[in-house]
Amino acid sequence: MERISTADREPNPAPMPPLTDSMAYSSSDEMMFGTALNPVETKDGLTIGGGQVLPEIVPHPRPGSEQTLKTLLREFERANQDALERCVTIGIPAIVIENEHVSQMTRHADWGMEITAQTQQQIESYKAKYGLQAALRATIADIRKPGMVDMRESDRTQEILDAFKACARHADILSIESLGGKEISDYSIIRNDLTGMLFAQAVLGARDMAWLWSHIVSIANENGCIPGGDTDCAQANTAMFMAGGFISRDVSHTLATFCRAVSASRSLVAYEMGATGPAKDCAYENPIIKAITGIPISTIGKTAACANMDLCGNLMAAVCDLWSNEAVEYHPMFGGSSVEVFTEILGYDVAAMNSAIQLGFQKEYQACLINSDRYRSPQSFILCPDNAWAIGKAIVTNNASCYTRARAAALTCGELMLADSNLHFTNFEKDVLLEYMRELEALPDEEDDFIDRCLKRYGKVKGFKPASYGL
Amino acid sequence: MKYVTDTSTIFTRYDLHIEVSRQSARRVSDDQLLQQVADCLVAGDEDRIQQIVAKVLTNKAPLEVINKGLLAGMQEVSRLWETGDCFLPQLILSSDAMLAGITLCEAELGQTMQKKAKVITHTAEGDIHDIGQIIVNALLSAAGFEVINLGADVLVDEVVDACRIHKPVLLTGTALMTTTMTAFPKIAEKLKKQGLIIPFACGGGAVNEEFVTSFDLGIWGKEASQAPGIAQDALNELSWEEMRNKWNG
Repeated sequence: MERISTADREPNPAPMPPLTDSMAYSSSDEMMFGTALNPVETKDGLTIGGGQVLPEIVPHPRPGSEQTLKTLLREFERANQDALERCVTIGIPAIVIENEHVSQMTRHADWGMEITAQTQQQIESYKAKYGLQAALRATIADIRKPGMVDMRESDRTQEILDAFKACARHADILSIESLGGKEISDYSIIRNDLTGMLFAQAVLGARDMAWLWSHIVSIANENGCIPGGDTDCAQANTAMFMAGGFISRDVSHTLATFCRAVSASRSLVAYEMGATGPAKDCAYENPIIKAITGIPISTIGKTAACANMDLCGNLMAAVCDLWSNEAVEYHPMFGGSSVEVFTEILGYDVAAMNSAIQLGFQKEYQACLINSDRYRSPQSFILCPDNAWAIGKAIVTNNASCYTRARAAALTCGELMLADSNLHFTNFEKDVLLEYMRELEALPDEEDDFIDRCLKRYGKVKGFKPASYGL
Repeated sequence: MKYVTDTSTIFTRYDLHIEVSRQSARRVSDDQLLQQVADCLVAGDEDRIQQIVAKVLTNKAPLEVINKGLLAGMQEVSRLWETGDCFLPQLILSSDAMLAGITLCEAELGQTMQKKAKVITHTAEGDIHDIGQIIVNALLSAAGFEVINLGADVLVDEVVDACRIHKPVLLTGTALMTTTMTAFPKIAEKLKKQGLIIPFACGGGAVNEEFVTSFDLGIWGKEASQAPGIAQDALNELSWEEMRNKWNG
């Protein structure tokens, strides 16, 4: 691969936003579940982050139901009806429903639109009949596989934008799990390569998000709906899931933890481009995002065990505004359908949190959530509000570029882990942690120098097209 | 905030309890030059191994470098993986280094090395989550198989056509989503209709044993790391039923 120098590169057409230079919260002590400094209100008057935690239920269709629009409509109708019905049955005051697209719903914008319209009608029907307050988040599938298509100029990109436009007519909130940089992060994760992850997340991911979110925010504004947020599911969650639990040997927990700190620099771009939250549920980086922006966030933990395992099942509720289950496939269970069951679990979880708020015990309740997981793993440790805030502070203080702030986030993350003697590491994890710190310290200070280095180093990775990112 | 100091009733860090002193790689050759090749391979240093192999090729025959340096080193890494003494990235990096070294040897040899057999890999139609397949590709290559990588989001008919053309000993399919794994039985059905009785190992994300064993040819792969073993069984001409009995149930 011939080296492409900064001087030779085409000007970057991505509309990179001004990077955040201050913290919304002056300390982590101010951060609490149920309340965000900048709450949002849906078309129908439901406030998120305004003093109470709301459940967010995410049904997922069964295999086979994706074959036709008719079967998919029926599957979502059944699942969302179950969620709303269980709310009324056990007295859940309000709920957010997320329809996360399977690829067919995005590839056929009319499918996505009809399902969104159907769900909104169900919500309206339950409001009219019972007074249940609810809102609908539509999450469009990112069907752009980097390497297979151009991230900006391809039929698939157009299909995504068409799906956003179609769904924005009926949804309250728009979101996506964008994939920019995934071709490099997939390569890097399995090679223990933190530099590659930084490049994938902070440079490529951030540039892709700036481009994509400029469109999403416009579409949302044109349709009077809320541009919710993004998540680094494709990269930081992949690292976290591969790190697994206490007996996995695929990826180190410390690498996954660094990736999480870096992901905050990337996901922040959505909000810098005009997204307002509620942030997307599976973004485990959301406590850092909330510390910086003050937007309401959705989070997942133990209630998402149906979709993925994590080591921060209680902790992730500590500063949430929506409490979600990530995705549960529709199936019958003893207690009703899986969607009914998880709606009930979420409903009681938020009822306990809201009781704590009403009683003035929220700090005590939050302390219980945090202590459950603070020292369970490196990732849970850095997502505690105090550490999340410190990483956020490193991000806004080093805001010359998405790279500089991501590197600062990673360095702070490492320093925090090394400084607390109650956080224990295996010998292997300690060794790699120290190696990562040396690697981070040796990286260039300037983003252009870093990009030059990475274009040379990763230019050979299959499917990587710098032009897809305006590089 | 108050933090609990005794967390023993809250969680148990089993990882701290089960970690044993890690083994180092063993010597694989009495020859100093070949041992250097193996050491570099174990370290997974792709850049350096090219320098070392180039140097060693001035004294040794290419096949000797491959068999007694590169493959012997890779076997040692595989052993460490089996015993739990190395993590997946070390295996992948060593595989990268091995392939880089073999490429140099092949250039010197003037021909490509005979591979064990062909394996076709793909990620299901509609699914772009292919990191599991990427791992499978690396592990199969490291084990000496020729990987025909069809990539992600591959149409059912494209998979079947590739099987007809290449006649692999094994087909693998990866899917993250339950709504995309439904492509697998369609592929199996079409393969059978064309008389292509090829074991079809499926895994990833939400793919489960019950689903994969519900259609003929299907063998559920719980972990990507099982791929070389499953491919070896296919090469040893076990039927798909025998393979299913061995790996599933």
